[in-house]
Amino acid sequence: MNRRMFLLGAAGAAACGKTKPRLNVYNWSDYVAPDTIPNFQRESGLRIRYGTYESAPEMLAKVMTGNSGWDVVFPAAEIVPPMIEMGLLQKLDHSRLPHLNVFEGIFRNPPWDPKLEYTIPYMDGATGILYRRGIAPEPEAWADLWDARLRGKITMLDDPPEVFAACLKRLGDSINSGVPDQLRGAARLAMAQKPLLRAYLNAEVRDQVIAGDVWAAQAWAVTAGQAIAAAPDRLAYSLPREGFARYCDTVAILRESRRGDEAHRFIDYLLRPEVGASIAQATQTATPNAAAQRLLPAAMRENPVLYPGEEVLARGEWFAAQTAASQKLRDRLWTEIKSA
Amino acid sequence: MKRGLALYAIAVYAFLHLPLLILALFSFNASKFTLWEGFSLRWYRAALADADLVQSAINSLIIAISATALATTIGTLAAYALWKRSSTWLAGSLYLSLVTPEIVTGVSLLAFFQWAFRFLHWKLGMHTVILAHVAFSVAYVAVVVMARLRTFDPALEEAALDLGADEFGAFRRVTLPYLWPAIAAAAMLAFTVSIDDYVITSLVAGIDSQTLPMTIYAMARRGVNPMLNAISTMVVIVLGAMVLMAERLRSS
Amino acid sequence: MLVTLAIPSAIVCLYSLLTRGAYGGVERPWTLENFKLLGDPLYLMIFFRSLWIAAAATALCIGLAFPLVLFIARSRRKNLCLSLVILPFWTSFLIRIYAWMFLLRDTGLINTVLRGAGLIHDPLPLLYNDGAVLLGLVYGFLPFAVLPLYATVERLDPALLEAAADLGAKPLDALFRVTIPLCAPGIRAAAILTFVPCLGTYLTSDLLGGSKTILIGNVIQNQFTAARDWPFGAALSVVLMMLALVLMFAARRHGEELV
Repeated sequence: MNRRMFLLGAAGAAACGKTKPRLNVYNWSDYVAPDTIPNFQRESGLRIRYGTYESAPEMLAKVMTGNSGWDVVFPAAEIVPPMIEMGLLQKLDHSRLPHLNVFEGIFRNPPWDPKLEYTIPYMDGATGILYRRGIAPEPEAWADLWDARLRGKITMLDDPPEVFAACLKRLGDSINSGVPDQLRGAARLAMAQKPLLRAYLNAEVRDQVIAGDVWAAQAWAVTAGQAIAAAPDRLAYSLPREGFARYCDTVAILRESRRGDEAHRFIDYLLRPEVGASIAQATQTATPNAAAQRLLPAAMRENPVLYPGEEVLARGEWFAAQTAASQKLRDRLWTEIKSA
Repeated sequence: MKRGLALYAIAVYAFLHLPLLILALFSFNASKFTLWEGFSLRWYRAALADADLVQSAINSLIIAISATALATTIGTLAAYALWKRSSTWLAGSLYLSLVTPEIVTGVSLLAFFQWAFRFLHWKLGMHTVILAHVAFSVAYVAVVVMARLRTFDPALEEAALDLGADEFGAFRRVTLPYLWPAIAAAAMLAFTVSIDDYVITSLVAGIDSQTLPMTIYAMARRGVNPMLNAISTMVVIVLGAMVLMAERLRSS
Repeated sequence: MLVTLAIPSAIVCLYSLLTRGAYGGVERPWTLENFKLLGDPLYLMIFFRSLWIAAAATALCIGLAFPLVLFIARSRRKNLCLSLVILPFWTSFLIRIYAWMFLLRDTGLINTVLRGAGLIHDPLPLLYNDGAVLLGLVYGFLPFAVLPLYATVERLDPALLEAAADLGAKPLDALFRVTIPLCAPGIRAAAILTFVPCLGTYLTSDLLGGSKTILIGNVIQNQFTAARDWPFGAALSVVLMMLALVLMFAARRHGEELV
């Protein structure tokens, strides 16, 4: 393939202007239902270029430069304030989002973006313990993951904020703590746990829990939901009584985007209850969209893994961004934990 | 000794191909999980039906072939130039390129592209990925070709010059044929490195340049997925067939 | 061409002297602070461990590759045999690692077969340890050893070996005194091309080691992603690169260029 011709052709096409209106959407992988994008394309006449990424820092690195080419992105709640501060996000025009009033409770006015000026909540969840029924002890608290009886069968998430969150909660501190003494205490706990650990695993732990290689795993709600759906009588999920971390992914428009109109249409489309419900069912995550929740089948709506109820969720804490100093300490402590 | 070597080779081939056989076996598994539940082609159908997947495979191939062609040419010339006239700058930059960790190459190339694009009005895309791949493969090619050059007798080239050939002719008719196995080996190495690269590619890819490793990485992180088995088996079969055809053509 | 090669390194050096931006990226105050890591035993130990694993993997790779390359060079269908070695590596590295995990897990194929045959009672801990990581590294970097070795072994004149045999040398002697010295450039090239990427690797130890040990590659990777401290990551990379360069220069024979 002649690269020069390709470049000239691309330049030519760009110069002639767009042939068909288009929208570039950059999302986590596996985060929409199979028919979400095709339906939107059919209905709106817009062509969606849909790209996926595997890590928030990867997305941030590309977007930070201000000319990544993407229009709509899905940042996690804790990087929203930094992104707003860096001027990366466009203010949302609520008049162009007629379906905006589907949220209730905390999602109307979330701590990371009060009044939803820049972002819209997309999917949320919590981090707890996925475990095999019948083991002793059945983990109801983070402290149970330090139990020597489970030696070699425990995994934690390979995610520094999550591991720190679990340890800090065990000590009774905030998951977003930047206090050096608290962080060091948490790190000591993590190092004490390491000999009992089988590994640090993220979503891939799902198959290992189902197969029985792992008995208790720190896991995201979405992973737990999928695992339990595959082996409902053998597995269970608990949200520890010391407290736990909550996360929320949001959708936002990049300031560099010149397709504000189309982007607003897309976001409004995602807000529609039937669309939200379809995505929630396909991805098996919890949706913050209250109207969509009501459309879900009862089994899913009442699934304690995804929708544990306000009383339980009150023990949860949202992730927030770290200061530079706190991040540096956390990172160093993580390196120490890993090399212990 | 010959028999011993052959047995050893078979053992190594088995070691290399064992995971592939397992993958192929389970690509026909009707069940999504690791328990065998019957023979089925559903994963192959699913993979081929996924337009994004097919597109990313095509992208990967285009990038790998272009990058290999460019890198092999440049790398061979670099090795030759270095062999004829030792230059610390050239050797130094080759070394540096080799020792830089992938993530670092990726991030710095991204930064470089972003800076350059202020003047060039380009965006990230296939061309940036190809450039990045060339940038890191050139050193591999150069090292392999150089190793072969070290065993080449310069007197042969000088003889050709004495007999009336010009420099380019001497290179083309004397040195190049000698280097050919090394160049082929280097091209294979460059192709291998390019087609499977994830770290650098994901950083410099644009909105239209999703590659197969990026798609696979995304799927693999979710856990066992027989569609991945189907994809890799297909890749092996397609590329294997190409290799066999090339061999058939060569020996005919 | 020189430019393309040198740019990433130049940028890295630049970054290592800057300060961390608030959320990633770099900012103006030029500083040498990032290089304080050189006095820090934590990072020094990680460097050492990475060197050790990379050296072990390289030695294994070359040891495994050499007899194989000898076989290929003498076979009649050289290209075919070579391609058969390389072919597995054209499928995704990640998928092959997952295949190994499937084989090595407690409930994986190897353990299931062994238990089924009654040879063992409890599953062997084949995964999530240093041995598994080494296996993964060797498996992943074998072509980096095979291809450069092939480039030199291929031109080995069988007549030389015949001459050695005529002079009374046993095959093993001939190997050590004729073949290996003649293939030295190839061996050195193979060593470089395997050792250096091995130093910077992180995926294998994450997946097969259960992410329990941290190599310098992991630390650097982490700086550019979760920790968002690019200058520190750059400083670590500069040290790594210098280390690799020093080793490469030390390995060369007196007066002779390595590449």
